[in-house]
Amino acid sequence: MKKVMSNKLMIAIYILPALLLIGILIYIPLALTGYYGLMDWDGIGEMTFLGLENYITAIKDMKFWDSAYHSFLLAIFSTLSLFIYLGIALILASKIKGANLLRKIYLIPMLLSSVAIAQLWIKVYNPSNGILNSILSAFGIDNPPVWLGDTSIVLYSIFIPILWQYAGFYILIYYAALKNIPDSLIEAAKIDGASPLQIAFKIKVPLIMGVIKVTVVLAIVGSLKYFDLIYVMTGGGPSGASEVMASYMYKTAFSSYNYGYGSAIGFLLLLITLVVTYLIRKFTSKGDEIQY
Amino acid sequence: MKRIGYLILYASLGFVAIFQLFPIIWLVLFSLKDTREIFGSNPLALPQEWKWENYVKVWEGDVGVYFFNSVWYTAIAIILTVILASMAAFAITRMQWKLSSFVLGLFMVGLMIPVHSALIPLFKMFLSVDLIDKPLSIILTYTAYNLPITLMILLGFYYTLPREIEEAAIIDGCSINRLFFRITLPMTIPVMSTTVIINMIYNWNEFVFVNTFISSDKYKTLTVGIQNFIGQYMTDWGAIGATLVISVLPILLAFFFFSNKVVEGISASAVKG
Amino acid sequence: MFKRKKAIFWFAILASLILVLAGCSDDGGDDSTDKDDENADTTISFMHLWPEGSSKDHYEIVEKIIGQYEDDNPGVNVDVEVLGNEQYKEKLKVLSSSDKLPDVGMTWAAGFLTPYVDGKLFAPLNDVLDSGLQDQFVSGTTEAYAIDGNTYGLPLELNIAPIFYNKAIFEEHGLSVPTTYEEFKNVVKTLADNGVAPIALGNKDRWTGSLWYMYLADRIGGADTLTSAIDRTGTFEDPALVKAAEEIQNLVDLGAFAEGYNALSDEEAKSLFMNDQAAMYLIGSWDLPNYTTNEDVPQEFRDSVGFFNFPTVEGSGDLTSWVGGPGVGLFVAENSDVKEEAKKFAAYFVEQWGQQAVADAGVIPATKVDTSAVELPDMYIDVLDELNNASNITLFADVQMSPESAQVHLDAIQSLFGGEISPEEFTKLHEEALAAEQ
Repeated sequence: MKKVMSNKLMIAIYILPALLLIGILIYIPLALTGYYGLMDWDGIGEMTFLGLENYITAIKDMKFWDSAYHSFLLAIFSTLSLFIYLGIALILASKIKGANLLRKIYLIPMLLSSVAIAQLWIKVYNPSNGILNSILSAFGIDNPPVWLGDTSIVLYSIFIPILWQYAGFYILIYYAALKNIPDSLIEAAKIDGASPLQIAFKIKVPLIMGVIKVTVVLAIVGSLKYFDLIYVMTGGGPSGASEVMASYMYKTAFSSYNYGYGSAIGFLLLLITLVVTYLIRKFTSKGDEIQY
Repeated sequence: MKRIGYLILYASLGFVAIFQLFPIIWLVLFSLKDTREIFGSNPLALPQEWKWENYVKVWEGDVGVYFFNSVWYTAIAIILTVILASMAAFAITRMQWKLSSFVLGLFMVGLMIPVHSALIPLFKMFLSVDLIDKPLSIILTYTAYNLPITLMILLGFYYTLPREIEEAAIIDGCSINRLFFRITLPMTIPVMSTTVIINMIYNWNEFVFVNTFISSDKYKTLTVGIQNFIGQYMTDWGAIGATLVISVLPILLAFFFFSNKVVEGISASAVKG
Repeated sequence: MFKRKKAIFWFAILASLILVLAGCSDDGGDDSTDKDDENADTTISFMHLWPEGSSKDHYEIVEKIIGQYEDDNPGVNVDVEVLGNEQYKEKLKVLSSSDKLPDVGMTWAAGFLTPYVDGKLFAPLNDVLDSGLQDQFVSGTTEAYAIDGNTYGLPLELNIAPIFYNKAIFEEHGLSVPTTYEEFKNVVKTLADNGVAPIALGNKDRWTGSLWYMYLADRIGGADTLTSAIDRTGTFEDPALVKAAEEIQNLVDLGAFAEGYNALSDEEAKSLFMNDQAAMYLIGSWDLPNYTTNEDVPQEFRDSVGFFNFPTVEGSGDLTSWVGGPGVGLFVAENSDVKEEAKKFAAYFVEQWGQQAVADAGVIPATKVDTSAVELPDMYIDVLDELNNASNITLFADVQMSPESAQVHLDAIQSLFGGEISPEEFTKLHEEALAAEQ
């Protein structure tokens, strides 16, 4: 067994194609991003070498840290919403009637492109004609908030569509994982007299813990570099109240023509994500590799 | 008591379902209105005048070509991504070598790169190997940028695969390739279907890379078709709605197909824990 | 040994799959170099931002001009790529990072083209202009594309920004067109008191709010104050510029702008105006088709729209001083392989465009329009008259500034309207950003 599974050539054949692809198409751009971060470059003309100046500027840049703070809030929010997704997936996977149809319906928002989702929610939040404020005024609330125009709530207004957009993604993963648990284990527990809740939390959840950990990483990494909906719905505004790291990077590099500084922000984004992910992995690394 | 519990459960599940279903309804209504009405009226109101001409407008463009391109870029990138990621997941979780966790780390870092940072470097790289305005640049980029997330999703499942079957197979003299293709892959059909769905959605809706690397009309995809309706000062939102509806339909069908595989796979595979 | 063979087999399959893919794209590559015209020996690549779907009239004029040009110049082929506005800007940026600009393309004036000129990517077009083309442009338009005595763009559009208003709403509330700022504020108050949103403003896009600030600065401080603060012959600490910012916040406090103005895009704001939900709307004359010729807009609404000049403030300011200027213009790539041919095409394009743009697409070109020769709606004639009689046209502030300062300006505008910063902080932000660039 051991000998077969440690055949160097076979390992190379299995791992190298994927590794080469990401090595060339992800790591080279990554290295170049770090490199451009050392430059004073508008993206067009000559580059001049600055050393670490861009990185130092970024560390002192309050706007950057504000955007990082917003990204962190989004990451926490996304991680917490995993509980909701897991709950729904547990219900759907527990052989209730209509689960198959419900599961498909739940995944629909995820099929739409961000352009469509952003347009939809802009219309939900529209201050005068939007669905939300129409409902609120029907209930007699006179001055409903301007959801995307009020600096104190805009960030949370934007979290809702993101939560909604990603529901399908995580439910799908959890569902597949739960369906992968052998029926024999569940049946055995039932015979032992375990209640559905006990089965869910004592047996199913621990069994898919590996998958849950992966989704935590995905949620955090995805949130820290999140861009699409926020950029379309608010452009990071008003007054930077919904700016996140990726939108700040994009604006700096592509709108302000400060590509060098934008690259430095992009590289810092990566470093921050790396550190956070490392800490999360370390924190949750106990008891990996559960087998059925 | 139990009955009330179920009632509440179904009521809340139904509520969520409505919430998740309404974008499709909205999108269809949206595609049948004109810009004025889209912005001026309740999004869920029926159109004052049904603007079927939005669809006519869309069909008059190059939609056929865009559609075909979307399909084959998406399909090839999915096949490459899922196979390569499965092989990598197999090597990382099943084979014994020193660098496996380091290589896993490399893939994880690949998750973290912001797409817009990579745009200019990738453009320069493709330019130097003459891949700009070639479909290959799109397929390679889709594959590479979806590999990390696909691998991560697969990993969670590979860790839980029973080792006994593999051990037995190896002892029976089964080769690694046979083990992988005949035993491991079939066992992972549910999760592969999951990753196929996710890859499909990502590739189908992607537009930053296509927009940047492709210039010729004949290589563009449905998502850039939307741009046809975005003007300097005016945008034809009704036609954009129609394009979105046309582009979501095939993926909706494909999704229902693969979504069934997520469940079927496990019961179909003879090997169970 | 057997296993190794199998492994090699699988690897070969993978490799050949990749090769096939590469092959596919190679074939594709050959196709794209095969020109429709067998004799073509010159190909000019041209990138513009008027897609057929959203700007059919523009698109068709472009196609027509290209067709004519190809007919008149056998052996020349024009290769077109069309993109949406945002994607156009993003792609231009990526292309220029690798010096792969199209031979002819579209650019905006002043601040936008500075980085491209500094990077030596745009060709000076003085020779093109000196061969007689200069006289065809409205004076002051090509200057917006000039840096250090060289002109880098041939403008295609010229706009001014009047305040459009809904005559029906004005009538209903017994209001008349204001000529002084006091009257204007009364109009705003009357409308607000009667529950009508006075002004539609989509300040998510920020340049829209900038127009209001620019007019106030112009009326309070005179036509040059803002421009000189930006070009650093003056300063943003000028009391008039602070006063203008104060007036913005006064207007906000009066309830002048429709609810949620900072969250609305220009398009959403426009729809408020066009659905009779707001009485006034300050926007560039590029919107004229919506109020005149656009058949998709109900006739009744089009008939009820008029425009007026931004009023004078406390007796100061000139009614005929406008905010506006040229919009997009053509550039020729400095490193184009077919630079001379590209210049020739650009010059040809501008001339032809000038003759057809107003009549067929409702675009006011930057070249002189002979109003007697074309049939135009009254509102166009009025705007063209205003253009001819303008004492001054101040170029949009975000276009005047370098891209970096423009972002500071736009963000500050949004914060000013939102009341997050004081007028003094507003001018200080500008002063710092502009001073840092010197």
